[in-house]
Amino acid sequence: METLQHFALLLVGGALVNNILLTRFIGICPFFGVSGAMETSVGMAGAVVFVMTLATTATWVFWNVLLEPLGVGEFLYIPAFILVIAALVQFVEMYLRKMSPALYRSLGIFLPLITTNCAVLATATESVRPGFFTMGVEYTFGFGEALVYTLGVAIGFGIALISFAALRERLEVAPVPEAMKGTPMAFITAGLLSFGYVGLGGLFGL
Amino acid sequence: MREWVAVYKRGLALDNPLTVLMIGLCAVLAVSTKVEGAFFMGLAVIFVLGMSSVIVSSIRHLVPEKVRIPVFIVIIASFVTIVDLTMKAFLPDVYDFLGVWIPLIVVNCMILGRAEAFSYHKPVRLAIADGLGMGTGFTIVIVGLAFIRELFGSGEIVFLGARLLSLPAGYPAPGILVLFPGAFIVFGFIVALTGWYNRRTAGRTVETSAHCTIEEGGR
Repeated sequence: METLQHFALLLVGGALVNNILLTRFIGICPFFGVSGAMETSVGMAGAVVFVMTLATTATWVFWNVLLEPLGVGEFLYIPAFILVIAALVQFVEMYLRKMSPALYRSLGIFLPLITTNCAVLATATESVRPGFFTMGVEYTFGFGEALVYTLGVAIGFGIALISFAALRERLEVAPVPEAMKGTPMAFITAGLLSFGYVGLGGLFGL
Repeated sequence: MREWVAVYKRGLALDNPLTVLMIGLCAVLAVSTKVEGAFFMGLAVIFVLGMSSVIVSSIRHLVPEKVRIPVFIVIIASFVTIVDLTMKAFLPDVYDFLGVWIPLIVVNCMILGRAEAFSYHKPVRLAIADGLGMGTGFTIVIVGLAFIRELFGSGEIVFLGARLLSLPAGYPAPGILVLFPGAFIVFGFIVALTGWYNRRTAGRTVETSAHCTIEEGGR
């Protein structure tokens, strides 16, 4: 039971309390880039859940099997993780194109975009060296914990992206002052949306 | 020389990476709670952007088109690692404050975007101008945003332990400015202001759109 609660807290902490987009600003580029239309936002959210989970699996194994035992993790992790993630995304893209054309059509164009998405690298980094999300104590995530945490973060990304896309669709027809049209108004809307997440701060002591 | 200055100055206002091109926003919104952190983040970005522009530009004839993105990423990642370790050694407090944002400079689409759009096609001296100009434009915006948020959000500005500026005692500091909604809202107004300024001075219509989508980050 204890562990179940622990995993549930990791999931909620990653998804809502420390929402990666609205409270920590990681991965803001696609947030403003693709949120113009509902359809692309849903596709992007799906692709992020998929890639982020895979990427953390790969980098966690890579860190614990290769980098950490060899003692080179401290100064090689940045290029190593980027290359692992980029290679992984390439393989996934090729595999999907061949094996599942339907899924490829819905996720395809987002996959290369995600390689350079900071959210994926940040989550992968935090899963092996948790400096930000420690729940009070410094410790290293086990494999299961890393996976659940990543899943939580990815779901939080999806929730924020899709709700923001819905807001922006309404904003299209709203009367906005000339100078604020477009991006400035989108930022202010995002600010108002993130007010909601202020209220979640400190929930369950996360 | 005049060309050099012209390229340098583009990064400051007309093609400012943050307020006009809308690339590399994440770090700006996140670390602009403190002037100190924002300043060193700006320095780190100037260094990485300047150095990677020089290297990318000087090897542009050697790198085949097809493998250019991995090559750029490895070059950028090397300079980020230098910054990462240097800052950890000499400025541990700032390093703790910036945290995950130092490694994230690698995936800051601004740097990859400039390598791709400018340095890969231009001679070294112009690439330096572009790198430094974009870096300076970044630093101005991030420090400006941090200045507004720290001064009005907490009532004083503390830089490396010294108090530089403070509002009169009894000022009811609206803490929301230092929290995350403040970043979005203040930045929204800065974007609106830059757009207005650019339209006024240059008589040029500036497309403000989130740029880091398929064409910038997506290769």
